[in-house]
Amino acid sequence: MPQQLSPLPSSADMVIVGAGVIGCSIAREAARYTSDVVILEKESDVADGTSKANNAEVHSGIGEDAGTLKQKLNVRGNQLYDEFVQGLGVEVKRHGMLIVVTQRTIPADPDGNLTEVEREEILTQKIPEGIVAYGENAGIKGLRVLTRDEVFRMEPNVTRDAVAGVYDQTYGLISPYKLTIALAEHAVINGARVFLDTEVTGFRLEDGRIRAVVTNHGEIETSIVVNAAGVFADEVADMAGAGGFVIHPRKGATLLFDRQVTAEYVRSSVAEFRLPGQRTTQSKGGGAMPTDEGNLQLGPTAIETGDKYDTSISAEEIEEIFERFHYLLPDFPRDAIISAFSGIRAPTLEEDFVIGASDDVHGFVNVAGIQSPGLASAPAIAEMVIGILHELGIPDVPRPDFDPVRPKPYRFSELSNDERDRLIREDPRWGHVICRCETVTEMEVVNAIHAIIPAVNMDAVKRRTRTGMGRCQGGFCHNRVAAILARELGIPITAVTKDGEGSPIFLAAAKDFLRGEEA
Amino acid sequence: MSPVGKPDCMVIGAGPAGLGAALAAREAGLKDVMLIERDVELGGILPQCIHDGFGSIVFDEVLTGPQYAQRYIDQVQAADIDVKLNTMVLEMAPDRRITAVNSREGIIEFEPRSIVLAMGCRERTRHQIMLPGFRPAGIICAGAAQRDINIDGIMPGRRVVILGSGDIGLIMARRFTLEGAEVEGVYEIMKHPGGLSRNVVQCLHDYDIPLHLSHTVTFIHGRRRVEAVTVAQVGEDLKPIKETERLVPCDSLVLSVGLIPENELSLQAGVELDPVTAGPVVDESMHTSVDGIFACGNVVSVFDLVDWVTRTAEAAGRGAAEYVLGKKKIRAPIRVKPGRNVRFVVPQLVRNLGREIDLYFRVEHPERAVRARVLAGGEQVYSRKARMVRPPEMIHAQISAVNAAGKVKEIKLEVVSHEE
Repeated sequence: MPQQLSPLPSSADMVIVGAGVIGCSIAREAARYTSDVVILEKESDVADGTSKANNAEVHSGIGEDAGTLKQKLNVRGNQLYDEFVQGLGVEVKRHGMLIVVTQRTIPADPDGNLTEVEREEILTQKIPEGIVAYGENAGIKGLRVLTRDEVFRMEPNVTRDAVAGVYDQTYGLISPYKLTIALAEHAVINGARVFLDTEVTGFRLEDGRIRAVVTNHGEIETSIVVNAAGVFADEVADMAGAGGFVIHPRKGATLLFDRQVTAEYVRSSVAEFRLPGQRTTQSKGGGAMPTDEGNLQLGPTAIETGDKYDTSISAEEIEEIFERFHYLLPDFPRDAIISAFSGIRAPTLEEDFVIGASDDVHGFVNVAGIQSPGLASAPAIAEMVIGILHELGIPDVPRPDFDPVRPKPYRFSELSNDERDRLIREDPRWGHVICRCETVTEMEVVNAIHAIIPAVNMDAVKRRTRTGMGRCQGGFCHNRVAAILARELGIPITAVTKDGEGSPIFLAAAKDFLRGEEA
Repeated sequence: MSPVGKPDCMVIGAGPAGLGAALAAREAGLKDVMLIERDVELGGILPQCIHDGFGSIVFDEVLTGPQYAQRYIDQVQAADIDVKLNTMVLEMAPDRRITAVNSREGIIEFEPRSIVLAMGCRERTRHQIMLPGFRPAGIICAGAAQRDINIDGIMPGRRVVILGSGDIGLIMARRFTLEGAEVEGVYEIMKHPGGLSRNVVQCLHDYDIPLHLSHTVTFIHGRRRVEAVTVAQVGEDLKPIKETERLVPCDSLVLSVGLIPENELSLQAGVELDPVTAGPVVDESMHTSVDGIFACGNVVSVFDLVDWVTRTAEAAGRGAAEYVLGKKKIRAPIRVKPGRNVRFVVPQLVRNLGREIDLYFRVEHPERAVRARVLAGGEQVYSRKARMVRPPEMIHAQISAVNAAGKVKEIKLEVVSHEE
């Protein structure tokens, strides 16, 4: 029986609220010490909120303010990453980031307060050297000043206005949803249980201590709750009386491009250095970066939105992104756009992470205010939270039976022809290509549907296999994927959804409307 | 893996282009012709085009899509052509080496002596026109909706707004209506319909479906399933006029906003593409820039009539046969220049003016009382009057053999006023 359909357990050592990258990181780390971990997720899949819609960046920490918890955990998280993902079947690709200093960083000064020689020195030496010194002071390794020529050799498509650069070699990229899925599955392999479509509606307290989590599907007794509810973390904390912070959702929109057109366009992630006064938004300013699959992305924007569900993208945002990057990448092929998406950041008013056991409610741990560099910080956040959990009574002796490996699902497109041939002989479904743009086979779709964390809708299949992520955006494969979902789940095709309840792909069988029938 | 196959000609894609090319190659004398199709059946997009209007030029009859396809399918099946269904080409190299896959044979490799590209086209999506809003279920391209309804028998929408008045959008407005769905209207950003006039009349007017010209969708509402769209009139600059915005409740948005030739394989093989057509640059035999690789149909340029697709396919099939049989004398190409009010011409190159040549072109803007003419080295080799020319209608011009063809250095196709 799919796990989300089985009844909730009556009790657990600990309950994590939210199956984003943070909740699943904590779950996997906690599973090293106890098998009795429960994760609750109100959406129909893990990684279904902010973790599915960000830029996949494992920052070094260079963009964060000195002295913040954000910077500390970012730098540490980046360093932990390779070890963190070992055995998960996902990897961080350390493409590096190129921070470009341009002519407009300090515009020419016609009044002559600044001579051209002085200006040049500031642009080509003082600023890049300052960036390197700032990063090294925070513990970031491998930063290096680049001359103008070195910038062009590294990234030939950046603006001729570039004067110098800094190369940040520890910066990397990882698919945030593939990582989250892998972490959740690895936790489940080690005994954790994930319940999807399960929304926390309250908590039961006794003498200032957590006694139970109340959900739309019943109660679980527990003495420890980890609040990793992302943009909803303030509301979840308030339900327990363990709040005191406010999440103000901030939308970030990103444009995504056809990899066949843009694969070689930038090799590292490219961002323009802007002085604090030149930033228009409360964010690091974004950049042009490849995804882990090689599609180029431009973005994100940073727009305060009152609505935690506002994942729309406006015409103004699209224009703003193109305008912003037109300077940095003047010849960018904008027609190669294949998709656009928005995610919601979860900042607090203080703009720093809020991580710690509640002073008001014993056993309640907030892991809130996680926005960029949250993905980069995830390993360090998990490490920090595990320390807190030990104090709350989770054993600090590693389990001898912890299985270090989560088997990586085969991806046809990544295999050699010999391996493909061998698999097809084992099961002919490996030879049946469902998604032509991304070369996804029927077997991969079937495997995703029956995976440890089962993919039960179109978007969940897409995140695991890339069906519909290519240039046709599902035009050719949506009906095939829907038919496989219906067949494998034993449901009518009209019950297949895009992303959970209320999002049906099809509304009726042909002729039903004429008969006055609907699904 | 099985031994490498070496067919005389491999045709990739078994829609009308591939079917026509395979047959023509066979008829022109090639013995070992292979036709590869990724779908479960022959015919490409035609089996889902259950409306009529196909074949008026090739057969001088009005057929439905499946009928048109069947005439070729029957011939292919009778012609000793090696058909591989459910087979997907994974790689194509500049030296024509091909790797494909299917469930029965696994990975299969070929070194064909010639290749005809006939992969057709795909639909432009919501993001390619940068349509703002949410990303709920219920946003679908018209051709995909056509497949859902006509092949799979499932309805992707009940209260439908259609953006774009391309032919498939118009056809689907009627199709949704006939299935008991409600089409609120068709919105077209341009001042003129994007599809053929006969489709505007037969699919919209006859069913009282409103066509809103100079209008577009500016926002998609609905977090899980489409709940409404905002529509607005656009100005001369095609930008929406804020004051005219209006909310239209619906559960689906159907897009008919253009087709794009599918040339990912062509690019792998290093085939030169024309930035205007987004298809390969070809000569009158439909030979691309890569030796022994031909292309035809919508992979070359999106045609509005299947009949022209078939004609280019026949040229490609014959071209491939001449190439393999060594009959084709390769001459230096002459570029066909698009002149006044001509957006593009296919083929872009001509090598042998000593025989009849078919040219296909679109105009840049609608124009009345015109003459289309072709000048070869200054000499007029084609001229035809037209009362009206419109960008949605591909125009065919057959130029006759030119005497002293060897001396011609330049060919120009232009649309001028009647009197000139």
